[in-house]
Amino acid sequence: MSLLRKGQQWGTFACVWHIFDATWQDPFKSAHLIKKYLMGLHKPIYHPLNQCGDHVIVINSKEIALRGDHWQKRVYFHHTGYHGGATWTLAWELHSKDPTMIIKKAIYSAMDGTLQRRFTMQRLHIFPDDNVPKEMLENVSNQIKQLRPVPNRLYEIPQEERDKIPRLIQYPSDYQLK
Amino acid sequence: MNGLQLYLQSLLNIKHIYNVLTANVGYRYIKRWVSPTQKEITRRKRRLPAQPESKRSNFIEWNRNSEIYAFNTRLSEKFDTEKLNQAFTHKSYILDELKKQQEMGIEEPKFDISHNEEYIEKGREITSEIVKKYLKKSLPRLPEVGITALHDYLMSEQMLATASSHIGTKDIILTSEHPVSQQTLAQTFVALVGALAESVNVDHASAFVRDFLIVGLANKDLTEIWCPTKPFELLNDVISAERKISIEARLIGQAGKNTILSVYHVGIYANKEYLGSGFGETIAEAKDVAAINILAQIYGLHHTSQPLRFNEELNVSA
Repeated sequence: MSLLRKGQQWGTFACVWHIFDATWQDPFKSAHLIKKYLMGLHKPIYHPLNQCGDHVIVINSKEIALRGDHWQKRVYFHHTGYHGGATWTLAWELHSKDPTMIIKKAIYSAMDGTLQRRFTMQRLHIFPDDNVPKEMLENVSNQIKQLRPVPNRLYEIPQEERDKIPRLIQYPSDYQLK
Repeated sequence: MNGLQLYLQSLLNIKHIYNVLTANVGYRYIKRWVSPTQKEITRRKRRLPAQPESKRSNFIEWNRNSEIYAFNTRLSEKFDTEKLNQAFTHKSYILDELKKQQEMGIEEPKFDISHNEEYIEKGREITSEIVKKYLKKSLPRLPEVGITALHDYLMSEQMLATASSHIGTKDIILTSEHPVSQQTLAQTFVALVGALAESVNVDHASAFVRDFLIVGLANKDLTEIWCPTKPFELLNDVISAERKISIEARLIGQAGKNTILSVYHVGIYANKEYLGSGFGETIAEAKDVAAINILAQIYGLHHTSQPLRFNEELNVSA
């Protein structure tokens, strides 16, 4: 193989590292987005038996947002295999035990249950906050766009700027709010 | 149904098939000893050590004259039969025949045919010239080093021998060795070119070389045969000679820097104009690949370049 062909091959099968910020993102909708990068579905050379998947680093998994009352109503089932070994853990309970677990399970179940799934999962790196090892961060060359923009919360805006926001009505000073 | 009958009738018209079909008229089965016997024969054949390749010219129905005639006609060439015979006769064959006569007790052995040494020498010169001229014509921008590399590749023993065996010279060659060596096959090819140049003319011989030898490049990766050793410097020379500006390489992409699968994408620019890019394991390698990429496109060696044409007429004698 000539150097030219080697370069072509090397570029075609390049393994790219992506980063995804999970702040205020729905883990179940994000899972379908991240899955594509992990499996290499976005590449024209994709084939189930072809090793063309990319690495994805998910940061701020602690800050994920669940729809509606899913924190209280979503249940994670586990069975130890022994009699009476079944447990049902609520989403908020699981999240407080391990903040990476919900998004990890979401991505795992977004993929088909093939033999490749566990190897594909090894290319996923989840961090509860934005403390990513420097060596790993140096590999990153692409950022996956978030599905929803992170809303700007009122209490995060400093008081001076908050005062500048135009107001429709001004309550009288003696107005009883509650 | 009628169609099937017609088909069967036409089959019956062929004598050979007819014999096969009528061979087992009269009995409805194959004797029970046939299968075990044939199995045993096959088993014994497998147990034997590798048998030497049989010499086609030792078969009783071998007719050398008709083979020579068929060779000439098959290739639609106009070889002079005498010269063609001479081109196929190697010196070793004559020496071997003389030796045989001596062993038979003949005191003054005589074997009055001429060998192809002269044709080999002449043919090699002609072939070499034709190949060089043809390559220069079809790859006009390729520098002399590249032309020489491609020429040496085509004139290598292996390429000549392949071309020779593909036109069916293996059984007609007269030589002392058996099976015929690669070297002899290669020599026969150039001898044929020499003989053709004498039988018709050099221009016709150039068409022969083009059709049977140079087409060997058709399915090859040309950059594998020749690649510049210092591509970036060479590209800089080429661009600065043409446009009086120097080139610069820029890193336009990278992935997995700290992994063993690190990839760097380097682009080459001349006066902020994009020329081409290449991938590599290291930045230096990617830079080389990018330069080779652009050079191969300039020279017409790239896999996306227009393929070499094999129908161009060459005027060698002029």
